[in-house]
Formats: sequence, C-alpha cells, structure tokens
Amino acid sequence: MRPPRGRGGGGGFRGGRGDGGGRGRGGGRGGGGGRGGGSAMRGRGGGRGGGRGGGRGRGGGGMKGGSKVVVEPHRHEGVFIAKGKEDALVTKNLVAGEAVYNEKRISVQNEDGTKVEYRIWNPFRSKLAAAVLGGVDNIWIKPGARVLYLGAASGTTVSHVSDIVGPNGVVYAVEFSHRSGRDLVNMAKKRTNVIPIIEDARHPAKYRMLVGMVDVIFSDVAQPDQARILALNASYFLKAGGHFVISIKANCIDSTVPAEAVFQSEVKKLQQEQFKPFEQVTLEPFERDHACVVGGYRMPKKQKA
Amino acid sequence: MSSLRNALPRRAHKERAQPQSRKKFGLLEKHKDYVIRAKAYHKKEESIRRLKEKAAFRNPDEFYFKMIKTKTVDGVHRLEGEANKYTQEELMLMKTQDIGYVLQKLQSERNKIEKLTTMLHSLDNNPSSRHVYFAEDREEAKEIKSQSGRKDALPDFDDIPDHIKRKTAASYRELEGRKKRVQELEKLYMDMSLHKELQKKGRKRKLREEEIVCPTSKAVYKWRSERKR
Repeated sequence: MRPPRGRGGGGGFRGGRGDGGGRGRGGGRGGGGGRGGGSAMRGRGGGRGGGRGGGRGRGGGGMKGGSKVVVEPHRHEGVFIAKGKEDALVTKNLVAGEAVYNEKRISVQNEDGTKVEYRIWNPFRSKLAAAVLGGVDNIWIKPGARVLYLGAASGTTVSHVSDIVGPNGVVYAVEFSHRSGRDLVNMAKKRTNVIPIIEDARHPAKYRMLVGMVDVIFSDVAQPDQARILALNASYFLKAGGHFVISIKANCIDSTVPAEAVFQSEVKKLQQEQFKPFEQVTLEPFERDHACVVGGYRMPKKQKA
Repeated sequence: MSSLRNALPRRAHKERAQPQSRKKFGLLEKHKDYVIRAKAYHKKEESIRRLKEKAAFRNPDEFYFKMIKTKTVDGVHRLEGEANKYTQEELMLMKTQDIGYVLQKLQSERNKIEKLTTMLHSLDNNPSSRHVYFAEDREEAKEIKSQSGRKDALPDFDDIPDHIKRKTAASYRELEGRKKRVQELEKLYMDMSLHKELQKKGRKRKLREEEIVCPTSKAVYKWRSERKR
C-alpha cells in the first residue's frame, strides 16, 4: 500500500518530467495546467481593461459606443466617411432611428453629449454613391440645394440625397412606376424635404406646377432617349448655370456597340442640348458598363482676358 | 502443551534456494508453485476435453446464418464487406443531400459577403474607375490637368486610433476569407454535381483531348441527346 502512494506523490511533485507512474503524471500535468491557465487569464483580463479605458478617454462621454467608430466629413459637403468595423460612405440621417431600406445605421456621440445618427450609403444600390467612390470631383448636390431627381425608383438614393440637402434643401423625386412609387411615397412621408411625383419624366409639363426652379438635376432613368428627357426637364426647371448629374447604362442605350462609344455619343447629344459636360467617371467595381457624367447647363460664357 | 513447545527456541529453517551448480535449470520450484502450475494445466486439459466432446457430438445439419455472412481471414472471423450496404437509389439520395448542404452553406456565405461589401467600400484604395474630363480648348485642358494633379481624393485619416484601424483591418480580412471560402465551396459544388450527373442514367462518354473546344485541365463529358416526352 505504501510504496505506490509514495510513488504517486513523487510523480505529482515532479510534474512534467514524465518518469512517474501514470497516475502521478496525470496529477502533475493537471496542476501545471491549472496554474498556467490562471496566469494567462489574469494577463488577458488586464489587457482588455486597458483597451477599454483608452476608448473611454477618447470618447469623453463615457459611453461604450462612443469610440467604436470615427466619422469624418468627405470632400463632398453633406457626405461623411465612417471608419470602424465598417469602412463606408455615410450620410447624416434626417429622421433619426429609422432605416429606409434596411441599411445599417451608425450612432455617434459628440463631445457635448448629443447623438448623431448616420446611414451607410450602399454603392451597389446607388449610382450616385458609386460615382462618389469613383472619385468624381463635384456632385453639386450639397446642403440647401434644390434637386430634381428623375428615376427615383423606391427612393433608396433619394433618401440619401435628402440627407445631404438637409432640411433647407428640397428633392423632387419623379418616378413613373406605381409599384416602386408606393415605396417612394412612404419614404417621403417621413422626410419633409422630399416631394414624390408619380409621373412620366418624358412629360414634365404634367408636373410643372409642383416643381420650382432647381439647382441640380440628377437623372437615372436608363432609357434610350434619356438625354432628351434630361434636356426637356432642364428646359422647364433647371436654372441657367445649374448643374446636372446623369448616370448612363450602356446596355440600355445600345447593347451592340462598346460601352465607351455609347458614353461618347451620349455626351455628344448632351452637348447639343446646351449642356456642358465637365467630367465622366465609370462606376467600375460597383456597376458594369455604367458611367456618370457631371456638367453644367447654359453656363455663362467665359470672359476672354 | 503446544504453547510450551512454542515458547522454546527452535532452529529457524531457511527455505532452500536453487544450488549454484543447478542454476542453469532456473528457479527451484516449491510446492505452492507446483499447485498453481498444475491447476492451470488441468484447466486447459479440461477445456480441450470439452471441445473434443462437442466436436464428437456435433450435428452435421447444424446451420447458422453467420456461417454465410462471415468468412475467416487468416483464422479470424470477419463480417462480409459493407460495400453494398446501400442501394443505388439510397446512394443517390445521400449524394443529393450532401450537395444540398454544400449549396446551403455557399448561399449563406454569399449573403454574408453581400452584407460585408455594403459596409466596406475600400475607401483608402484608389478607385479603379476611369475618370474623363471634358475641356473646350487647349488652355482649359491645361488648367484641368494642373488642378487634377494636386487634388487628393479623401481627407486625411491620420488621427484614427489604433483600435479602430485594427477593427477595419479585421473586417477586410473577414471579407477576404469569406470570398476564398465561397470560391472553394463553388468548386466543391461543381465537382459533386458532376459526380452525381455521371452516376445517373443516360449515355455519356469522356471527350478526348482533341475534341474539347475550350481547353481545360479537367475531364469533359458529353451526353448522348435523348428524346424526352
């Protein structure tokens, strides 16, 4: 009885040397593991505590969510960039606490304790966001602007445009289809700066009483005669020296010729209609064979020096 | 009496060990060792006797199904192989279920990628899009050229704390990992469905190398067209 007990004890004491009996060795290993685990846990806990402390210091308010994300203004006024778990284009939500198309929302706390909510702008669903990410120089849609939006569809991009122009601006959203127009109207109920118009954009005379003079026209109608539609609407509503942003889907205009040629011919058509295109970006990683053209309308002649 | 005898000092008899001269015969056996050995011997003898008896009284018409189902390999009984455990239909069904599981995983992974791409726009990378400027004359073109050079795309993000940078990097890593996984799952799905199709009925043959229109490293099969009503 005695010798085995002694051996077991010895094995346990010696730990991992591995010359003790089976029982002794097991005991030794168990003890060692327990001790190691304890120390590791303590170390990890300390590290985590330190990290959280740092975050709180920066947030200032002491809220845990305060430092999880950093939001900074983009080059374009009214557009922001959120960095955190996400790395995304965002706009300041006009109606805090509500998402329009189940997009993700980000809440940030300011230094004075007020909360601001931002909505992530999905470039796969919005050509304007894709153009912004494509590096367009100026979208002309900025806080306080009056925008005529042709081809509003369900109002996903319209909601972001309404975020950008803010309570002082106004967005006239024109959509022909009743089905997607229903979503648009529902969205506009919550956003007072959006005026939904369920009409054909080919006949601007039908809604001329609803729309005032605008600073910018955004057109995403994807029709073969979209240049003509844009020109018609511009002749009614766009102020001289105003701007346009048009998204061109090459397949919708002519699917037999290469996309670049389609873009060129569209730009030509625009130039004949008193438009002066400034720049053009392709929406490459987000949409295939799409381009966004930005320019001015009835621009004043440059004074020769 | 005996107690008195016990009280008397007696000579201690030491057990005799094997003498040095007989060391080569091993340990000297004592009676108690012999008893153990004899008991073991008789036990074996008895079991052999019993087995012999059983063999003698064996019924020649005796039959058990195990006699067919098993066979002896090197004197060891073994169950017959389980290769044909499932019928062709059962195997087909199992294969379909496997493919279904892979497809389900593939779709869920695709959904996760979509969710991630909506919030990860690769803002720090230069856009891969083509940017064209329109100018009316040479001077304007020059002006635009000089302006576009010094314009930087995004505001500086130098003051981002480290733990947020780490978070962003982790998100991008997750996206990459999932994309890779989707690729692998797609490959697996293709392979599995090809196997399934090959097991189905219908005449097909493997194309020879010179018959393949667009060259691939994998085998290409062609099915005989069959009229379906």
